[in-house]
Amino acid sequence: MMKRFIDHCCDKCFHSKENPCKLFIECCLSGPLCHDSDECSAKRKAIIERVAHSPGYLNF
Amino acid sequence: MYEKQILICAGTGCISSGSMHVQESLSEELKKHGLQDKVRIILSGCHGFCEKGPIFIVYPEDIFYCEVKVEDVPELVEEHLVKGNVVERLLYKDPVSEKRVFSHKDIPFYSKQKRQILRNCGVIDPENIDEYIIRGGYSGMKKALYMDPLEIINTVKSSGLRGRGGAGFPTGMKWEFGYRSPGDKKYVVCNADEGDPGAFMDRSVLEGDPHAVLEGLIIAGRAIGSDEAYIYVRAEYPLAIRRLRKAIAQAEEYGFLGNNILDSGTNFKINIKEGAGAFVCGEETALLASIEGERGIPRPRPPFPAVKGLWGKPTCINNVETLANVPLILRNGAEWYSAVGTEGSKGTKIFAVTGKVNNTGLCEVPMGISLREIVFDIGGGIRGGKKYKAVQIGGPSGGCIPEELLDLPVDFDSLTAKGAMMGSGGMVVMDEDTCMVDLARYFLSFTQSESCGKCTPCREGTKRMLEILERITQGKGEPDDIERLEKLALSVKDSALCGLGQTAPNPVLTTLRYFRDEYEAHIFDRRCPAGVCKDLLSYYIDPELCIGCRACTKACPAEAISGEKKEPHVIDETKCIRCGACFERCKKGAVKTR
Repeated sequence: MMKRFIDHCCDKCFHSKENPCKLFIECCLSGPLCHDSDECSAKRKAIIERVAHSPGYLNF
Repeated sequence: MYEKQILICAGTGCISSGSMHVQESLSEELKKHGLQDKVRIILSGCHGFCEKGPIFIVYPEDIFYCEVKVEDVPELVEEHLVKGNVVERLLYKDPVSEKRVFSHKDIPFYSKQKRQILRNCGVIDPENIDEYIIRGGYSGMKKALYMDPLEIINTVKSSGLRGRGGAGFPTGMKWEFGYRSPGDKKYVVCNADEGDPGAFMDRSVLEGDPHAVLEGLIIAGRAIGSDEAYIYVRAEYPLAIRRLRKAIAQAEEYGFLGNNILDSGTNFKINIKEGAGAFVCGEETALLASIEGERGIPRPRPPFPAVKGLWGKPTCINNVETLANVPLILRNGAEWYSAVGTEGSKGTKIFAVTGKVNNTGLCEVPMGISLREIVFDIGGGIRGGKKYKAVQIGGPSGGCIPEELLDLPVDFDSLTAKGAMMGSGGMVVMDEDTCMVDLARYFLSFTQSESCGKCTPCREGTKRMLEILERITQGKGEPDDIERLEKLALSVKDSALCGLGQTAPNPVLTTLRYFRDEYEAHIFDRRCPAGVCKDLLSYYIDPELCIGCRACTKACPAEAISGEKKEPHVIDETKCIRCGACFERCKKGAVKTR
């Protein structure tokens, strides 16, 4: 389960501090970027939806 | 997904008002109602409206509750969370219209603010790096990692960012000095010492959005060619230190600190060094000495730290708020940043508004806003309907601004032209009951006690100035004291070794400039116009109001009051020791001062 952005969405994700991915930050919000997967995309959206408490939260 | 999210302010101000007890009570109430999985509690950073804490905001409906106590929590849960009814008695009440306000956006305290640096404070959980990333965090760092260092420097130069710690030195220029200084080892330092009494701007950023400071440091490091930073934070900020340590650990886990950040080849490490309680360690060279394990004593400049700093290496030192600006500049661009503010002062500034004002707290405003707007629109005007007298800006290093200059734009150059300075952002508002001579004495006693003693002008000069001010406030002022004070102040200002000594005379010089009549009244009339200096007060009893109840006689320790029962009493000034006991005891307001 992907509870935090640092957790891997699937086997294809490799980012870690020892093996960094250049696109990690972009991938947090718009990923996955290295492969196509609705499931992996939904995992990221779930992290965002869990904390976004108001329309203004994402409108910064 | 949660049905509701509740943000409880966990800034130091609201914590001391009891917000953590409110949070504990809320957790228990949610469990009682089986709502613990449906309602998320977030302990956020400072919302800024410290006067009305503890702050408690319910989303998604954006209902702003204030001054919430533990005993209010059951009603809030039952009425708002369960039944959907807003608890109106806990909403903010507009003092003019007397109407209850639902959203913070409609509260005058917030409506004139431009919260850019404080964008995440009070909005996110500062201990959750994901929330920082979701709101654009570390995207500025990502850009900078793949930019040429000079390109980063030019972006910051173009933005017009000036240091927010007090001096207002252009940040891009400082970084360029550091970049061009030769050396294989360089340092970046964050000055989080924040020693000005009453100032808590940096504390709020560190507590409420620590990752913004880390991101700013990483970008600064990339710009000057440094792989290591120190955050020098005062030990009196335990919550800020805890949040910083957690933020650094998270950034390391995510690969934003350490080696080969985001596969860029850039390495960066951040250390924390806790201060040991000396105001002088907010001065950059004394700060560096303290990091090195030496006593915090300033060093002569040149050489400046950007050329020869920490352990003799090129070092760029920036204030917390300065660094928190940097990610926004890299993310949104220099043009975006410089669209706010004035010609010489770009961006926004955070002020800690304290003193005799209705709305004390933290506000962030565009540079160039007038003092009047800050004090009266955001600050809500003077407490108790009293008359505004002055505002002290810049803490013990700053100066006071009188009523005739209330429409002065708040920016670096306008304030300097009037003898004051922006300083770090402490703003103390004073009313008609403030004695400006006593105020100057108070600030000078602070800087005098904090003087490191290294240079004679500061060590001896501030002591002599303080002696004169104490004499004046004790009713022993001499005719030449004003001239002596001015000469000493200018001499110390010109010859002190560091910023502490160079700015210590500012409160004296500005009060002399704008309130000379008060000094003259103390010296020549032996009178304190504000009625503050005890030795210059004389107490008397108004015979029209005195009912002869003898309460004052019983309270007087010097047997200075006489009179028959039910007849007006009289105070013998030759015996009166001016303790004020009769004044406190009289219920008829018959005891007065002059």
